[in-house]
Amino acid sequence: MGTFFEPSLIFTSIPKLLSYLHITIEILVLSVALGLLLGILIAVPKLYNVPILKEIMTVYISFIRGTPILIQLFLVFYGLPVVVGLFGVDITRMDPFYFVIITYTLSNAAAFAEIFRAAIKSVDYGQTEAAYSVGFTAWQNFYRIVFPQAIRVAFPNIANTSISSLKDTSLAFSIGVMDMMGRGDTLISATAHALEIYLALSVIYYVIVLIFERCFKWIERYLNRYILKEESSL
Amino acid sequence: MQLDIPFIWTAFTEIIKALPLTLLIAFTPILLGLIIGIAVAFIRINNYKVIAPLANFYVSFYRGTPVIMHIFIIYFGVPIIFESLFGISLNFLPIAIFVIIALTLNAGAYLSEIIRSGILSVPKGQIDAAFSIGMTNFEMLKRIVLPQAFASAIPNLTNILIGFLHATSIAFLVSVKELTGVANIVASSNLKFLEAFIAAGIIYWGVTVLIELIAHFVEKKVTAYSNTGVARN
Repeated sequence: MGTFFEPSLIFTSIPKLLSYLHITIEILVLSVALGLLLGILIAVPKLYNVPILKEIMTVYISFIRGTPILIQLFLVFYGLPVVVGLFGVDITRMDPFYFVIITYTLSNAAAFAEIFRAAIKSVDYGQTEAAYSVGFTAWQNFYRIVFPQAIRVAFPNIANTSISSLKDTSLAFSIGVMDMMGRGDTLISATAHALEIYLALSVIYYVIVLIFERCFKWIERYLNRYILKEESSL
Repeated sequence: MQLDIPFIWTAFTEIIKALPLTLLIAFTPILLGLIIGIAVAFIRINNYKVIAPLANFYVSFYRGTPVIMHIFIIYFGVPIIFESLFGISLNFLPIAIFVIIALTLNAGAYLSEIIRSGILSVPKGQIDAAFSIGMTNFEMLKRIVLPQAFASAIPNLTNILIGFLHATSIAFLVSVKELTGVANIVASSNLKFLEAFIAAGIIYWGVTVLIELIAHFVEKKVTAYSNTGVARN
């Protein structure tokens, strides 16, 4: 590590780091999309009070909530090969990228499951009764009555979870994924200037988070389009 | 590869020795950050000129960048500043100090948001009422606003506590010997990675569940007199 601080290095390293941005975004998009699907599967037993399955899901959610993402990353990285090894499949040489996707999917799914559950519970049961009384099927009730109201409640939390997931992707390099952080590490070894590279990375993450926040605000406003503003109701 | 279950226990007894340091790194920043958080929250609520935009940027930047960056930037940046400005080398300081500084600044940003939303959750009419019966500014804060703000902030504070406990695991990347760091040492010296990290995971999980239980208990105490919701509690 050099003793001198070179501000110009911050600017010259940003384009180099940005060329690895797509890996970070791929990890984020895949793990959020898969996490949403898995989250539904985890939430259903709790919503419908399925015995045994419900308890398993509660323990699963508590475990994910109770351990750092770094530990989860290591557990999947070292544990998954052992588990699938029992079935005679060898994945010890698999690209660490996939381990990262699996870990973040599992982690996001637990958070999403809790968000879905709270959102669906926020819709009054009287509305479901009303829907049935006018002859809606269970699917129609969910799709046309419960879901549009629940997504309004769930969306800000889904957005927050996605943004913290984006920040968590910065830990993927610790199992050897070549994302922006991984590239940053190689740049540090090449230039012997750590501080400038990390400042450049911070700027990139900050800008991406700001862009995501702006987009999510916009979607939130769209989802709330039927809600009357307090001023306008006067 | 086989799972060596007895070794999980061996690793557990080894790793749990790092728990005091982990708790120190996790909770010192929250206590120190509380001071920053209160100051920043009041600056933002009162919207002071010049410093309010700075405070906004501080909060938004710290919430918009990964914790690992804060730790790395303080770890690499502070010694450079000290060496170039004062010619003092900071090599003698334990690395954990840098992590605590980084997490304190982080805690300040997150706590200021929580304090702000807690204070804003108290209706303005109550503040007017407090003034109308002759309370001073300080009395109003101490007796009316802060107790209610604290009660409504407990769930968020619990999340912050847990978040910081988990954030300390990142300190292992700058080779602090906290839970994850020790787990890594135990793992690589015995070449039993999975077992060591299972043990570390159990410790984190246990402490998290404990924090949640305590928070639940405190919340019941603090909100005992509140009179909201759809049923008497």
